[in-house]
Amino acid sequence: MAKTELSRKTKTEIEDSSSLKGTLASVFLLGFFLVITWIGVYLLFVSRF
Amino acid sequence: MFNPAANLKVDRRDGKLAMAHFYVAFTALAIGGLAGLLQTLVRSGKFELPAGIGYYQILTVHGVVLGLVLTTFFIMGFQLAATSKTSGTFTKKQRITGWVGFWLMTAGTVLAATMILLNEATVLYTFYAPLQAHALYYIGLTLVIVGSWVDGAAIIMKYAEWRRKNPGQPSPLLTFMSLVNTMMWIVATIGVASTVLFQLLPWSLGIVETVNIGVSRTLFWYFGHPLVYFWLLPAYMAWYVVIPKVIGGKIFSDSLARMSFILFLLFSIPVGFHHQLMEPGIDPAWKFLQVILTFLVVIPSLMTAFSLFATFESFGRAKGATGLFGWLKKLPWGDARFVVPFIGMVTFIPAGAGGIVNASHQMNQVVHNTIWVTGHFHLTVATSVVLTFFGVSYWLIPHLTGRKLTKAMNKLGIIQAVIWSIGMTFMSGAMHAAGLLGAPRRSSYSEYGGAAQAAEWIPYQVAQAIGGSILFLGIILMLYIFINLAFFAPKGEQEFPVGEAADEAEKAPMVFENWKLWLGITFVLILFAYTIPFIDLIQNAPPGAKGYKLW
Ligand code: HEM
Ligand SMILES: [Cu+2]
Repeated sequence: MAKTELSRKTKTEIEDSSSLKGTLASVFLLGFFLVITWIGVYLLFVSRF
Repeated sequence: MFNPAANLKVDRRDGKLAMAHFYVAFTALAIGGLAGLLQTLVRSGKFELPAGIGYYQILTVHGVVLGLVLTTFFIMGFQLAATSKTSGTFTKKQRITGWVGFWLMTAGTVLAATMILLNEATVLYTFYAPLQAHALYYIGLTLVIVGSWVDGAAIIMKYAEWRRKNPGQPSPLLTFMSLVNTMMWIVATIGVASTVLFQLLPWSLGIVETVNIGVSRTLFWYFGHPLVYFWLLPAYMAWYVVIPKVIGGKIFSDSLARMSFILFLLFSIPVGFHHQLMEPGIDPAWKFLQVILTFLVVIPSLMTAFSLFATFESFGRAKGATGLFGWLKKLPWGDARFVVPFIGMVTFIPAGAGGIVNASHQMNQVVHNTIWVTGHFHLTVATSVVLTFFGVSYWLIPHLTGRKLTKAMNKLGIIQAVIWSIGMTFMSGAMHAAGLLGAPRRSSYSEYGGAAQAAEWIPYQVAQAIGGSILFLGIILMLYIFINLAFFAPKGEQEFPVGEAADEAEKAPMVFENWKLWLGITFVLILFAYTIPFIDLIQNAPPGAKGYKLW
Protein backbone atom coordinates (compact mmCIF):
# COMPACT_ATOMS: atom_id res chain seq x y z
CA MET A 1 0.00 0.00 0.00
CA ALA A 2 1.06 3.49 -0.72
CA LYS A 3 1.32 4.51 2.88
CA THR A 4 3.71 1.81 3.89
CA GLU A 5 5.66 2.27 0.72
CA LEU A 6 6.26 5.88 1.65
CA SER A 7 7.31 5.19 5.19
CA ARG A 8 9.86 2.61 4.14
CA LYS A 9 13.06 4.47 3.81
CA THR A 10 15.42 3.18 1.21
CA LYS A 11 18.73 2.81 2.89
CA THR A 12 21.38 3.68 0.36
CA GLU A 13 24.73 2.68 1.74
CA ILE A 14 27.21 5.14 0.37
CA GLU A 15 30.58 4.17 1.59
CA ASP A 16 33.29 6.62 0.78
CA SER A 17 36.18 4.70 -0.69
CA SER A 18 38.61 7.13 0.92
CA SER A 19 37.18 6.51 4.39
CA LEU A 20 39.73 5.67 7.07
CA LYS A 21 37.31 4.62 9.78
CA GLY A 22 38.84 1.15 9.98
CA THR A 23 42.19 2.82 10.65
CA LEU A 24 40.63 4.92 13.39
CA ALA A 25 39.11 1.84 14.99
CA SER A 26 42.42 -0.02 14.70
CA VAL A 27 44.49 2.65 16.39
CA PHE A 28 41.89 2.87 19.17
CA LEU A 29 42.05 -0.89 19.71
CA LEU A 30 45.83 -0.63 19.75
CA GLY A 31 45.63 2.17 22.30
CA PHE A 32 43.28 0.17 24.53
CA PHE A 33 45.62 -2.80 24.38
CA LEU A 34 48.54 -0.63 25.51
CA VAL A 35 46.53 0.84 28.37
CA ILE A 36 45.21 -2.54 29.55
CA THR A 37 48.68 -4.10 29.56
CA TRP A 38 50.07 -1.16 31.45
CA ILE A 39 47.30 -1.16 34.06
CA GLY A 40 47.70 -4.90 34.53
CA VAL A 41 51.35 -4.61 35.47
CA TYR A 42 50.65 -1.42 37.43
CA LEU A 43 48.21 -3.31 39.67
CA LEU A 44 50.82 -6.02 40.16
CA PHE A 45 53.31 -3.31 41.06
CA VAL A 46 50.97 -1.68 43.59
CA SER A 47 50.18 -5.02 45.18
CA ARG A 48 53.88 -5.86 45.59
CA PHE A 49 55.74 -2.70 46.47
CA MET B 1 58.80 11.94 -8.63
CA PHE B 2 61.08 11.04 -11.51
CA ASN B 3 64.48 10.03 -10.26
CA PRO B 4 66.86 9.29 -13.13
CA ALA B 5 69.53 7.92 -10.80
CA ALA B 6 67.33 5.06 -9.57
CA ASN B 7 68.06 1.63 -11.01
CA LEU B 8 65.50 -0.95 -12.01
CA LYS B 9 67.94 -3.55 -10.77
CA VAL B 10 70.69 -3.22 -8.20
CA ASP B 11 74.01 -3.27 -10.06
CA ARG B 12 75.65 -6.71 -9.90
CA ARG B 13 78.81 -5.41 -8.27
CA ASP B 14 76.80 -3.69 -5.55
CA GLY B 15 74.72 -6.83 -5.24
CA LYS B 16 77.87 -8.85 -4.49
CA LEU B 17 78.78 -6.44 -1.70
CA ALA B 18 75.32 -6.76 -0.15
CA MET B 19 75.35 -10.54 -0.55
CA ALA B 20 78.69 -10.78 1.26
CA HIS B 21 76.96 -9.21 4.27
CA PHE B 22 74.08 -11.65 4.02
CA TYR B 23 76.34 -14.74 3.97
CA VAL B 24 77.79 -13.68 7.32
CA ALA B 25 74.35 -12.78 8.69
CA PHE B 26 72.82 -16.16 7.90
CA THR B 27 75.89 -18.04 9.16
CA ALA B 28 75.33 -16.15 12.40
CA LEU B 29 71.69 -17.25 12.40
CA ALA B 30 72.76 -20.90 12.21
CA ILE B 31 75.28 -20.69 15.05
CA GLY B 32 73.18 -18.44 17.27
CA GLY B 33 70.03 -20.48 16.74
CA LEU B 34 71.80 -23.63 17.91
CA ALA B 35 73.03 -21.81 21.02
CA GLY B 36 69.49 -20.55 21.70
CA LEU B 37 68.09 -24.07 21.49
CA LEU B 38 70.75 -25.34 23.92
CA GLN B 39 69.91 -22.52 26.37
CA THR B 40 66.24 -23.41 26.52
CA LEU B 41 67.07 -27.11 26.91
CA VAL B 42 69.50 -26.44 29.77
CA ARG B 43 67.02 -24.17 31.51
CA SER B 44 64.32 -26.82 31.34
CA GLY B 45 66.42 -28.87 33.76
CA LYS B 46 66.23 -31.95 31.55
CA PHE B 47 69.54 -31.56 29.74
CA GLU B 48 73.14 -30.68 30.58
CA LEU B 49 75.82 -29.28 28.29
CA PRO B 50 78.52 -31.82 27.41
CA ALA B 51 82.26 -31.56 28.05
CA GLY B 52 81.89 -29.05 30.85
CA ILE B 53 80.83 -26.24 28.51
CA GLY B 54 79.38 -23.42 30.62
CA TYR B 55 75.90 -21.98 30.17
CA TYR B 56 77.29 -18.45 30.02
CA GLN B 57 79.67 -19.27 27.22
CA ILE B 58 76.74 -20.47 25.11
CA LEU B 59 74.71 -17.42 26.11
CA THR B 60 77.59 -15.14 25.10
CA VAL B 61 77.72 -16.82 21.70
CA HIS B 62 73.97 -16.40 21.29
CA GLY B 63 73.84 -12.73 22.31
CA VAL B 64 76.89 -11.65 20.30
CA VAL B 65 76.17 -13.65 17.20
CA LEU B 66 72.45 -12.83 16.93
CA GLY B 67 72.11 -9.51 18.76
CA LEU B 68 75.23 -7.93 17.25
CA VAL B 69 76.46 -9.87 14.20
CA LEU B 70 73.28 -11.06 12.44
CA THR B 71 71.59 -7.70 12.88
CA THR B 72 74.49 -5.42 11.92
CA PHE B 73 75.48 -7.43 8.86
CA PHE B 74 71.93 -7.81 7.58
CA ILE B 75 71.17 -4.13 8.13
CA MET B 76 74.33 -2.92 6.39
CA GLY B 77 73.70 -5.22 3.43
CA PHE B 78 70.08 -4.11 3.14
CA GLN B 79 70.86 -0.42 3.41
CA LEU B 80 73.67 -0.65 0.87
CA ALA B 81 71.35 -2.42 -1.57
CA ALA B 82 68.51 0.05 -0.93
CA THR B 83 70.81 3.02 -1.47
CA SER B 84 72.29 1.60 -4.66
CA LYS B 85 68.78 0.84 -5.94
CA THR B 86 67.26 4.26 -5.20
CA SER B 87 70.23 6.63 -5.62
CA GLY B 88 72.14 4.78 -8.29
CA THR B 89 75.10 2.42 -8.62
CA PHE B 90 77.99 3.07 -6.25
CA THR B 91 81.09 4.64 -7.72
CA LYS B 92 84.24 2.56 -7.55
CA LYS B 93 85.46 4.52 -4.56
CA GLN B 94 82.16 4.12 -2.73
CA ARG B 95 82.07 0.40 -3.39
CA ILE B 96 85.64 -0.11 -2.22
CA THR B 97 84.71 1.78 0.95
CA GLY B 98 81.87 -0.69 1.41
CA TRP B 99 84.19 -3.66 0.96
CA VAL B 100 86.73 -2.26 3.44
CA GLY B 101 83.90 -1.87 5.94
CA PHE B 102 82.72 -5.41 5.30
CA TRP B 103 86.16 -6.95 5.80
CA LEU B 104 86.84 -4.93 8.95
CA MET B 105 83.54 -6.09 10.41
CA THR B 106 84.20 -9.68 9.40
CA ALA B 107 87.73 -9.70 10.82
CA GLY B 108 86.41 -8.25 14.06
CA THR B 109 83.67 -10.87 14.22
CA VAL B 110 86.12 -13.72 13.71
CA LEU B 111 88.43 -12.32 16.39
CA ALA B 112 85.67 -11.84 18.96
CA ALA B 113 84.13 -15.24 18.14
CA THR B 114 87.49 -16.96 18.55
CA MET B 115 87.97 -15.47 22.00
CA ILE B 116 84.46 -16.54 23.01
CA LEU B 117 85.05 -20.09 21.77
CA LEU B 118 88.37 -20.23 23.63
CA ASN B 119 86.35 -19.34 26.76
CA GLU B 120 88.40 -16.17 27.21
CA ALA B 121 85.42 -13.82 26.88
CA THR B 122 82.42 -15.26 28.67
CA VAL B 123 81.13 -11.82 29.55
CA LEU B 124 77.85 -11.86 27.57
CA TYR B 125 77.13 -9.52 24.70
CA THR B 126 76.84 -6.52 27.04
CA PHE B 127 80.37 -7.10 28.50
CA TYR B 128 79.54 -5.28 31.73
CA ALA B 129 82.55 -4.51 33.92
CA PRO B 130 83.81 -5.77 36.31
CA LEU B 131 83.56 -8.96 34.24
CA GLN B 132 86.78 -8.81 32.29
CA ALA B 133 87.35 -10.42 28.90
CA HIS B 134 90.57 -10.99 26.97
CA ALA B 135 91.72 -7.78 25.26
CA LEU B 136 91.30 -9.38 21.82
CA TYR B 137 87.55 -9.68 22.44
CA TYR B 138 87.28 -5.92 22.91
CA ILE B 139 89.52 -5.32 19.90
CA GLY B 140 87.31 -7.61 17.82
CA LEU B 141 84.16 -5.75 18.78
CA THR B 142 85.89 -2.44 18.10
CA LEU B 143 86.71 -3.63 14.58
CA VAL B 144 83.06 -4.56 14.04
CA ILE B 145 82.03 -1.06 14.98
CA VAL B 146 84.73 0.72 13.02
CA GLY B 147 83.87 -1.47 10.04
CA SER B 148 80.22 -0.46 10.33
CA TRP B 149 81.28 3.19 10.25
CA VAL B 150 83.23 2.60 7.05
CA ASP B 151 80.25 0.76 5.58
CA GLY B 152 78.08 3.69 6.61
CA ALA B 153 80.50 6.09 4.96
CA ALA B 154 79.66 4.50 1.60
CA ILE B 155 75.99 5.36 2.16
CA ILE B 156 76.81 8.90 3.26
CA MET B 157 79.02 9.42 0.18
CA LYS B 158 76.28 8.20 -2.13
CA TYR B 159 73.72 10.43 -0.45
CA ALA B 160 75.98 13.49 -0.74
CA GLU B 161 76.58 12.73 -4.42
CA TRP B 162 72.84 12.42 -5.11
CA ARG B 163 72.09 15.72 -3.38
CA ARG B 164 74.87 17.44 -5.32
CA LYS B 165 73.45 16.20 -8.60
CA ASN B 166 69.84 16.99 -7.68
CA PRO B 167 69.91 20.39 -6.00
CA GLY B 168 66.70 21.42 -4.24
CA GLN B 169 65.26 17.89 -4.42
CA PRO B 170 64.43 15.67 -1.44
CA SER B 171 66.50 12.48 -1.54
CA PRO B 172 64.85 9.16 -2.46
CA LEU B 173 62.93 7.88 0.56
CA LEU B 174 64.87 4.62 1.06
CA THR B 175 68.18 6.46 0.80
CA PHE B 176 66.95 9.06 3.27
CA MET B 177 65.95 6.35 5.73
CA SER B 178 69.23 4.46 5.36
CA LEU B 179 71.06 7.71 5.97
CA VAL B 180 69.10 8.54 9.14
CA ASN B 181 69.77 5.08 10.54
CA THR B 182 73.46 5.32 9.64
CA MET B 183 73.81 8.68 11.36
CA MET B 184 71.96 7.50 14.44
CA TRP B 185 74.26 4.48 14.55
CA ILE B 186 77.41 6.59 14.29
CA VAL B 187 76.32 9.01 17.02
CA ALA B 188 75.29 6.09 19.26
CA THR B 189 78.37 3.91 18.79
CA ILE B 190 80.63 6.75 19.94
CA GLY B 191 79.46 5.82 23.45
CA VAL B 192 80.34 2.16 23.35
CA ALA B 193 83.57 2.88 21.47
CA SER B 194 84.56 5.29 24.25
CA THR B 195 84.07 2.82 27.08
CA VAL B 196 85.87 0.08 25.16
CA LEU B 197 88.83 2.18 24.02
CA PHE B 198 89.34 4.38 27.08
CA GLN B 199 88.19 2.08 29.88
CA LEU B 200 87.88 -1.63 29.14
CA LEU B 201 90.76 -2.16 26.74
CA PRO B 202 93.47 -0.45 28.86
CA TRP B 203 92.08 -2.27 31.90
CA SER B 204 92.12 -5.70 30.26
CA LEU B 205 95.67 -5.05 29.01
CA GLY B 206 96.70 -4.27 32.58
CA ILE B 207 97.64 -0.65 31.77
CA VAL B 208 95.19 0.55 34.39
CA GLU B 209 94.28 -1.37 37.50
CA THR B 210 90.63 -0.44 37.98
CA VAL B 211 87.66 0.87 36.08
CA ASN B 212 84.70 3.17 36.91
CA ILE B 213 81.72 0.84 36.58
CA GLY B 214 79.00 3.52 36.62
CA VAL B 215 80.60 5.45 33.78
CA SER B 216 81.17 2.31 31.77
CA ARG B 217 77.57 1.12 32.10
CA THR B 218 76.22 4.57 31.30
CA LEU B 219 78.33 4.77 28.14
CA PHE B 220 77.15 1.30 27.20
CA TRP B 221 73.47 2.20 27.56
CA TYR B 222 73.94 5.52 25.80
CA PHE B 223 74.62 3.14 22.92
CA GLY B 224 72.33 0.27 23.96
CA HIS B 225 68.99 1.94 23.41
CA PRO B 226 69.69 3.42 19.98
CA LEU B 227 71.06 -0.05 19.18
CA VAL B 228 67.52 -1.40 19.37
CA TYR B 229 66.28 1.37 17.08
CA PHE B 230 69.12 0.63 14.70
CA TRP B 231 67.62 -2.86 14.45
CA LEU B 232 64.09 -1.56 14.11
CA LEU B 233 64.43 1.23 11.55
CA PRO B 234 65.38 -1.06 8.64
CA ALA B 235 62.24 -3.05 9.42
CA TYR B 236 60.34 0.24 9.30
CA MET B 237 61.94 0.94 5.90
CA ALA B 238 60.38 -2.27 4.66
CA TRP B 239 57.03 -1.52 6.32
CA TYR B 240 56.78 2.06 5.08
CA VAL B 241 58.21 1.71 1.59
CA VAL B 242 58.37 -1.91 0.42
CA ILE B 243 55.12 -3.38 1.74
CA PRO B 244 52.83 -0.82 0.02
CA LYS B 245 54.37 -1.79 -3.31
CA VAL B 246 54.17 -5.52 -2.58
CA ILE B 247 50.43 -5.33 -1.91
CA GLY B 248 49.87 -2.99 -4.86
CA GLY B 249 49.00 0.06 -2.76
CA LYS B 250 50.61 3.39 -2.01
CA ILE B 251 52.74 4.88 0.75
CA PHE B 252 50.30 6.79 2.94
CA SER B 253 52.55 9.84 3.15
CA ASP B 254 56.19 10.35 2.21
CA SER B 255 56.55 13.32 4.56
CA LEU B 256 55.05 11.48 7.53
CA ALA B 257 57.56 8.67 7.02
CA ARG B 258 60.48 11.12 6.95
CA MET B 259 59.16 12.95 9.98
CA SER B 260 58.91 9.75 12.02
CA PHE B 261 62.50 8.81 11.12
CA ILE B 262 63.73 12.24 12.21
CA LEU B 263 61.88 11.85 15.52
CA PHE B 264 63.59 8.49 16.03
CA LEU B 265 66.95 10.14 15.43
CA LEU B 266 66.19 12.81 18.04
CA PHE B 267 64.62 10.68 20.77
CA SER B 268 66.43 7.34 20.51
CA ILE B 269 69.68 8.45 22.05
CA PRO B 270 69.16 10.56 25.20
CA VAL B 271 67.18 7.76 26.87
CA GLY B 272 69.72 5.12 27.99
CA PHE B 273 68.86 5.57 31.68
CA HIS B 274 65.67 3.62 31.16
CA HIS B 275 67.96 0.58 31.22
CA GLN B 276 69.56 1.79 34.45
CA LEU B 277 66.47 2.69 36.47
CA MET B 278 67.46 0.27 39.26
CA GLU B 279 71.08 1.45 39.41
CA PRO B 280 72.70 3.59 42.08
CA GLY B 281 74.80 6.64 41.26
CA ILE B 282 72.29 8.41 39.00
CA ASP B 283 69.94 11.02 40.44
CA PRO B 284 66.26 9.95 40.09
CA ALA B 285 65.43 13.35 38.59
CA TRP B 286 67.70 12.64 35.61
CA LYS B 287 66.26 9.16 35.29
CA PHE B 288 62.81 10.74 35.24
CA LEU B 289 63.82 13.18 32.53
CA GLN B 290 65.07 10.34 30.33
CA VAL B 291 61.88 8.40 31.04
CA ILE B 292 59.92 11.35 29.63
CA LEU B 293 62.16 11.45 26.55
CA THR B 294 61.64 7.70 26.20
CA PHE B 295 57.89 8.17 26.12
CA LEU B 296 58.28 10.67 23.28
CA VAL B 297 59.37 7.73 21.11
CA VAL B 298 55.79 6.50 21.45
CA ILE B 299 54.81 9.32 19.07
CA PRO B 300 56.67 8.17 15.94
CA SER B 301 55.79 4.57 16.81
CA LEU B 302 52.07 5.33 16.80
CA MET B 303 52.51 7.48 13.67
CA THR B 304 53.94 4.38 12.02
CA ALA B 305 51.06 2.20 13.19
CA PHE B 306 48.54 4.74 11.90
CA SER B 307 50.27 5.09 8.58
CA LEU B 308 50.43 1.33 8.02
CA PHE B 309 46.78 0.77 8.90
CA ALA B 310 45.90 3.62 6.54
CA THR B 311 47.95 2.12 3.69
CA PHE B 312 46.16 -1.20 4.12
CA GLU B 313 42.70 0.32 4.44
CA SER B 314 43.09 2.65 1.45
CA PHE B 315 44.29 -0.26 -0.62
CA GLY B 316 41.41 -2.51 0.46
CA ARG B 317 38.77 0.16 -0.14
CA ALA B 318 40.17 0.92 -3.58
CA LYS B 319 39.60 -2.78 -4.24
CA GLY B 320 35.96 -2.40 -3.18
CA ALA B 321 36.15 -3.42 0.47
CA THR B 322 33.33 -2.20 2.70
CA GLY B 323 32.60 -2.23 6.42
CA LEU B 324 34.91 -1.43 9.28
CA PHE B 325 37.47 -4.17 8.66
CA GLY B 326 36.52 -5.47 5.21
CA TRP B 327 39.86 -4.23 3.82
CA LEU B 328 41.74 -6.88 5.78
CA LYS B 329 40.29 -9.54 3.46
CA LYS B 330 41.71 -7.83 0.37
CA LEU B 331 45.34 -8.12 1.47
CA PRO B 332 47.50 -10.66 -0.40
CA TRP B 333 47.53 -13.44 2.19
CA GLY B 334 49.32 -15.85 -0.14
CA ASP B 335 52.40 -13.67 -0.68
CA ALA B 336 55.31 -14.33 1.69
CA ARG B 337 56.80 -10.92 0.92
CA PHE B 338 53.74 -9.44 2.61
CA VAL B 339 52.61 -12.05 5.14
CA VAL B 340 55.98 -12.58 6.83
CA PRO B 341 56.67 -8.89 7.59
CA PHE B 342 52.98 -8.46 8.46
CA ILE B 343 53.34 -11.02 11.25
CA GLY B 344 56.32 -8.95 12.35
CA MET B 345 54.14 -5.81 12.47
CA VAL B 346 51.44 -7.52 14.51
CA THR B 347 54.06 -8.82 16.93
CA PHE B 348 55.20 -5.29 17.49
CA ILE B 349 51.92 -4.54 19.29
CA PRO B 350 52.57 -6.76 22.35
CA ALA B 351 56.27 -5.98 22.01
CA GLY B 352 55.63 -2.24 22.25
CA ALA B 353 53.15 -2.68 25.11
CA GLY B 354 55.79 -4.56 27.08
CA GLY B 355 58.33 -1.85 26.30
CA ILE B 356 56.08 0.82 27.79
CA VAL B 357 55.87 -1.24 30.97
CA ASN B 358 59.66 -1.66 31.10
CA ALA B 359 60.27 2.06 30.74
CA SER B 360 57.75 3.14 33.37
CA HIS B 361 60.35 4.11 35.98
CA GLN B 362 59.11 2.55 39.26
CA MET B 363 57.23 -0.21 37.46
CA ASN B 364 60.56 -1.39 36.09
CA GLN B 365 61.05 -2.95 39.55
CA VAL B 366 58.48 -5.60 38.68
CA VAL B 367 60.33 -6.83 35.60
CA HIS B 368 63.95 -5.69 35.90
CA ASN B 369 66.46 -8.49 35.29
CA THR B 370 63.68 -11.06 35.09
CA ILE B 371 63.19 -13.28 32.07
CA TRP B 372 60.23 -11.02 31.15
CA VAL B 373 62.86 -8.76 29.56
CA THR B 374 64.20 -11.64 27.47
CA GLY B 375 60.62 -12.41 26.43
CA HIS B 376 60.20 -8.76 25.47
CA PHE B 377 63.15 -8.52 23.12
CA HIS B 378 62.45 -11.86 21.53
CA LEU B 379 59.23 -10.19 20.38
CA THR B 380 60.88 -6.95 19.28
CA VAL B 381 64.14 -7.99 17.67
CA ALA B 382 63.81 -11.76 17.39
CA THR B 383 60.32 -11.62 15.85
CA SER B 384 59.23 -8.21 14.56
CA VAL B 385 62.63 -7.33 13.16
CA VAL B 386 63.88 -10.78 12.23
CA LEU B 387 60.68 -11.87 10.47
CA THR B 388 60.71 -8.60 8.52
CA PHE B 389 64.32 -9.31 7.52
CA PHE B 390 63.28 -12.80 6.42
CA GLY B 391 60.42 -11.27 4.43
CA VAL B 392 62.89 -8.87 2.79
CA SER B 393 65.27 -11.74 2.00
CA TYR B 394 62.57 -13.52 0.02
CA TRP B 395 62.77 -10.90 -2.73
CA LEU B 396 66.13 -9.23 -2.09
CA ILE B 397 68.33 -12.35 -2.20
CA PRO B 398 66.94 -13.57 -5.56
CA HIS B 399 66.98 -9.99 -6.87
CA LEU B 400 70.69 -9.76 -6.10
CA THR B 401 71.59 -13.25 -7.33
CA GLY B 402 69.52 -13.03 -10.53
CA ARG B 403 67.06 -15.72 -9.45
CA LYS B 404 63.37 -16.03 -8.65
CA LEU B 405 61.33 -16.82 -5.57
CA THR B 406 59.40 -19.89 -6.70
CA LYS B 407 55.86 -20.76 -5.60
CA ALA B 408 57.22 -23.56 -3.45
CA MET B 409 59.71 -21.29 -1.67
CA ASN B 410 57.03 -18.64 -1.23
CA LYS B 411 54.84 -21.19 0.53
CA LEU B 412 57.74 -22.46 2.62
CA GLY B 413 58.41 -18.85 3.64
CA ILE B 414 54.88 -18.49 4.98
CA ILE B 415 55.14 -21.83 6.78
CA GLN B 416 58.45 -20.69 8.27
CA ALA B 417 56.82 -17.57 9.69
CA VAL B 418 53.90 -19.54 11.12
CA ILE B 419 56.32 -21.97 12.81
CA TRP B 420 58.29 -19.04 14.16
CA SER B 421 55.14 -17.44 15.55
CA ILE B 422 54.01 -20.62 17.27
CA GLY B 423 57.45 -21.25 18.75
CA MET B 424 57.77 -17.67 19.90
CA THR B 425 54.28 -17.61 21.42
CA PHE B 426 55.34 -20.51 23.62
CA MET B 427 58.83 -19.26 24.40
CA SER B 428 58.18 -15.56 24.77
CA GLY B 429 54.79 -16.05 26.42
CA ALA B 430 56.33 -18.35 29.02
CA MET B 431 59.21 -15.92 29.54
CA HIS B 432 56.82 -13.03 30.17
CA ALA B 433 54.76 -15.08 32.62
CA ALA B 434 57.74 -16.51 34.51
CA GLY B 435 59.27 -13.05 34.65
CA LEU B 436 56.21 -11.65 36.38
CA LEU B 437 56.65 -14.45 38.93
CA GLY B 438 60.23 -13.29 39.51
CA ALA B 439 62.27 -15.76 37.43
CA PRO B 440 65.68 -14.22 36.68
CA ARG B 441 67.14 -13.85 33.20
CA ARG B 442 70.71 -14.90 32.38
CA SER B 443 70.60 -17.87 34.72
CA SER B 444 71.32 -21.51 34.16
CA TYR B 445 68.98 -24.12 35.59
CA SER B 446 68.75 -24.08 39.37
CA GLU B 447 66.25 -25.14 41.99
CA TYR B 448 67.57 -22.44 44.31
CA GLY B 449 67.92 -24.83 47.26
CA GLY B 450 64.37 -26.11 46.87
CA ALA B 451 62.72 -22.69 47.25
CA ALA B 452 58.95 -22.80 46.68
CA GLN B 453 59.02 -19.69 44.46
CA ALA B 454 61.64 -21.19 42.16
CA ALA B 455 59.56 -24.35 41.79
CA GLU B 456 56.77 -22.23 40.27
CA TRP B 457 59.04 -21.26 37.39
CA ILE B 458 59.92 -24.74 36.21
CA PRO B 459 56.77 -25.48 34.15
CA TYR B 460 57.37 -22.21 32.30
CA GLN B 461 60.96 -23.22 31.62
CA VAL B 462 59.72 -26.44 30.08
CA ALA B 463 57.34 -24.38 27.91
CA GLN B 464 60.31 -22.26 26.84
CA ALA B 465 62.17 -25.39 25.77
CA ILE B 466 59.18 -26.53 23.72
CA GLY B 467 58.98 -23.10 22.09
CA GLY B 468 62.76 -23.05 21.56
CA SER B 469 62.68 -26.42 19.80
CA ILE B 470 59.92 -25.22 17.46
CA LEU B 471 61.90 -22.04 16.79
CA PHE B 472 64.99 -24.04 15.97
CA LEU B 473 62.97 -25.89 13.36
CA GLY B 474 62.08 -22.48 11.94
CA ILE B 475 65.76 -21.58 11.75
CA ILE B 476 66.59 -24.73 9.81
CA LEU B 477 63.77 -23.96 7.38
CA MET B 478 64.99 -20.37 6.94
CA LEU B 479 68.54 -21.51 6.23
CA TYR B 480 67.19 -23.93 3.65
CA ILE B 481 65.26 -21.14 1.91
CA PHE B 482 68.28 -18.83 2.04
CA ILE B 483 70.56 -21.41 0.44
CA ASN B 484 67.94 -22.10 -2.19
CA LEU B 485 67.53 -18.42 -3.07
CA ALA B 486 71.27 -17.75 -3.06
CA PHE B 487 72.41 -20.79 -5.09
CA PHE B 488 69.69 -23.00 -6.49
CA ALA B 489 66.50 -21.12 -7.33
CA PRO B 490 65.75 -20.84 -11.08
CA LYS B 491 67.33 -17.89 -12.90
CA GLY B 492 65.03 -14.97 -13.51
CA GLU B 493 64.02 -11.46 -12.54
CA GLN B 494 62.76 -10.76 -9.04
CA GLU B 495 61.41 -7.27 -8.43
CA PHE B 496 62.90 -4.92 -5.79
CA PRO B 497 59.62 -3.35 -4.63
CA VAL B 498 59.81 0.38 -3.93
CA GLY B 499 56.50 2.07 -3.13
CA GLU B 500 55.26 5.42 -4.36
CA ALA B 501 53.49 7.98 -2.22
CA ALA B 502 49.70 8.27 -2.49
CA ASP B 503 50.12 11.92 -3.34
CA GLU B 504 52.92 12.01 -5.90
CA ALA B 505 52.68 15.77 -6.25
CA GLU B 506 53.41 16.33 -2.58
CA LYS B 507 57.08 17.17 -2.33
CA ALA B 508 58.65 16.40 1.05
CA PRO B 509 59.71 19.63 2.80
CA MET B 510 63.42 20.27 2.32
CA VAL B 511 63.82 20.96 6.03
CA PHE B 512 64.00 17.19 6.52
CA GLU B 513 67.35 17.21 4.72
CA ASN B 514 68.84 19.86 6.97
CA TRP B 515 71.37 17.76 8.87
CA LYS B 516 72.93 20.73 10.67
CA LEU B 517 69.54 21.28 12.27
CA TRP B 518 68.71 17.64 13.14
CA LEU B 519 72.16 16.62 14.29
CA GLY B 520 72.33 19.91 16.19
CA ILE B 521 69.13 19.15 18.11
CA THR B 522 70.31 15.58 18.65
CA PHE B 523 73.52 16.80 20.28
CA VAL B 524 71.73 19.40 22.38
CA LEU B 525 69.35 16.74 23.71
CA ILE B 526 72.26 14.40 24.43
CA LEU B 527 74.22 17.09 26.26
CA PHE B 528 71.15 18.08 28.23
CA ALA B 529 70.31 14.52 29.26
CA TYR B 530 73.84 13.34 30.05
CA THR B 531 76.23 16.14 31.06
CA ILE B 532 75.33 16.55 34.73
CA PRO B 533 74.82 12.82 35.36
CA PHE B 534 78.30 12.13 33.94
CA ILE B 535 79.85 14.82 36.12
CA ASP B 536 78.13 13.19 39.11
CA LEU B 537 79.26 9.70 38.16
CA ILE B 538 82.87 10.83 37.85
CA GLN B 539 83.12 13.23 40.79
CA ASN B 540 81.30 11.05 43.28
CA ALA B 541 82.70 7.77 42.05
CA PRO B 542 83.30 4.91 44.48
CA PRO B 543 86.71 3.20 44.27
CA GLY B 544 87.22 1.62 40.85
CA ALA B 545 86.79 -2.09 40.30
CA LYS B 546 89.41 -4.72 39.50
CA GLY B 547 88.56 -7.18 36.74
CA TYR B 548 86.87 -10.50 37.51
CA LYS B 549 86.84 -13.69 35.50
CA LEU B 550 84.05 -15.67 37.11
CA TRP B 551 83.76 -18.44 34.55
C1 HEM C 1 65.97 -20.46 17.96
C2 HEM C 1 65.60 -19.25 18.27
C3 HEM C 1 65.95 -18.65 19.61
C4 HEM C 1 65.94 -19.23 20.84
C5 HEM C 1 65.53 -20.65 21.18
C6 HEM C 1 66.40 -18.25 21.78
C7 HEM C 1 66.52 -18.45 23.14
C8 HEM C 1 67.06 -17.55 24.04
C9 HEM C 1 67.12 -17.71 25.46
C10 HEM C 1 66.60 -18.93 26.22
C11 HEM C 1 67.73 -16.62 25.99
C12 HEM C 1 67.97 -16.18 27.42
C13 HEM C 1 68.56 -17.00 28.33
C14 HEM C 1 68.88 -16.35 29.63
O1 HEM C 1 68.68 -15.15 29.88
O2 HEM C 1 69.37 -17.13 30.48
C15 HEM C 1 68.07 -15.77 24.90
C16 HEM C 1 68.73 -14.57 25.03
C17 HEM C 1 68.97 -13.69 23.99
N1 HEM C 1 68.54 -13.84 22.69
FE1 HEM C 1 67.60 -15.47 21.91
N2 HEM C 1 66.67 -17.08 21.12
C18 HEM C 1 66.41 -17.29 19.78
C19 HEM C 1 66.54 -16.39 18.76
C20 HEM C 1 67.10 -15.12 18.91
C21 HEM C 1 67.24 -14.17 17.85
C22 HEM C 1 66.83 -14.39 16.39
C23 HEM C 1 67.85 -13.08 18.39
C24 HEM C 1 68.26 -11.77 17.79
C25 HEM C 1 68.09 -11.37 16.59
C26 HEM C 1 68.09 -13.35 19.79
C27 HEM C 1 68.71 -12.49 20.66
C28 HEM C 1 68.95 -12.74 21.98
C29 HEM C 1 69.70 -11.87 22.85
C30 HEM C 1 70.34 -10.53 22.47
C31 HEM C 1 69.72 -12.47 24.11
C32 HEM C 1 70.32 -11.89 25.38
C33 HEM C 1 71.54 -12.54 25.77
C34 HEM C 1 71.97 -12.05 27.13
O3 HEM C 1 71.12 -11.85 28.02
O4 HEM C 1 73.18 -11.90 27.31
N3 HEM C 1 67.61 -14.59 20.07
N4 HEM C 1 67.64 -16.34 23.72
CU1 LIG D 1 65.87 0.97 25.61
